Amino acid sequence: MKLQITMKNLSLLLSITLSVIILMSFTNKNKAVKTYELSEVNYTVPNDIQEIINNSCYGCHNSDSKSKKGKMKLNFDKMSTMKVGKRVGKLNKIHGVVEENDMPPKKFLKKYPEKALNEEDSKKLASWAIEMASQYINE
Amino acid sequence: MIKKLTILLLIGFLILQFFGPELPEVINKNPKDLITNNPDIPEDIKTILQVSCYDCHSNETTYPWYSNIAPVSFLVARDINHARDDLNFSNWEDMNKLDKASALDEITDVIIDDEMPMAIYTAMHRGASLSDQQKELLVSWTEEFSDQMFD
Repeated sequence: MKLQITMKNLSLLLSITLSVIILMSFTNKNKAVKTYELSEVNYTVPNDIQEIINNSCYGCHNSDSKSKKGKMKLNFDKMSTMKVGKRVGKLNKIHGVVEENDMPPKKFLKKYPEKALNEEDSKKLASWAIEMASQYINE
Repeated sequence: MIKKLTILLLIGFLILQFFGPELPEVINKNPKDLITNNPDIPEDIKTILQVSCYDCHSNETTYPWYSNIAPVSFLVARDINHARDDLNFSNWEDMNKLDKASALDEITDVIIDDEMPMAIYTAMHRGASLSDQQKELLVSWTEEFSDQMFD
């Protein structure tokens, strides 16, 4: 009898734990990985956006990039620490070049077609950038 | 033979003058101008902008005498049209804050990268080349000026 109850309790406990884990994974899905508090504004990169950036942009736009120009124009490693005005400028440019299909460069995509942004990702990235930039406007 | 060729070239050159391009218009009163609307911009920055940038990136172009002579005129017209399309300080206040921030960031990039002022321009306008100190001044001003918009 005692054992039965324990088993029952155990399975109950297990199912509760399991549902909590499942629930958490759902709520976590779109939560930001990185949040930086900086002069009262947030720079946040949700997981799905980070994935897009990693696949199509980060290869050239990072601190160790071999592309000097790519690194100078945009370095994702520095986005969280740069001054607000500069960050807004960069974010607005990301929105522009992604919307205009100027990035990643056509030449680069010939060699690495898998780095191309599909239409959905392109839209997602562009709207993240413009939303992130617009939140700094206080009028 | 050489004499004939020279005469032919000369005639060609003279005929070309009738087909030169129309140079981009000069407008000296620009109510949406950056400097006009931002009297707080430091004097040294104003000078840098006016001396090194405004000939192409504003409506206040001062054309040198040779800019009316073809084929130079084609080059001048093309470059100034292109420059005004990219960034025209005379229309500064027509831009939204986000585009202003991007423009200021772009200024930093082209200055650090030594893309601007263009070498072909500074070759003819010696006073327009920027010293390292001027470049630093300009770059730190663009960052400050941009930041002020989002205070």
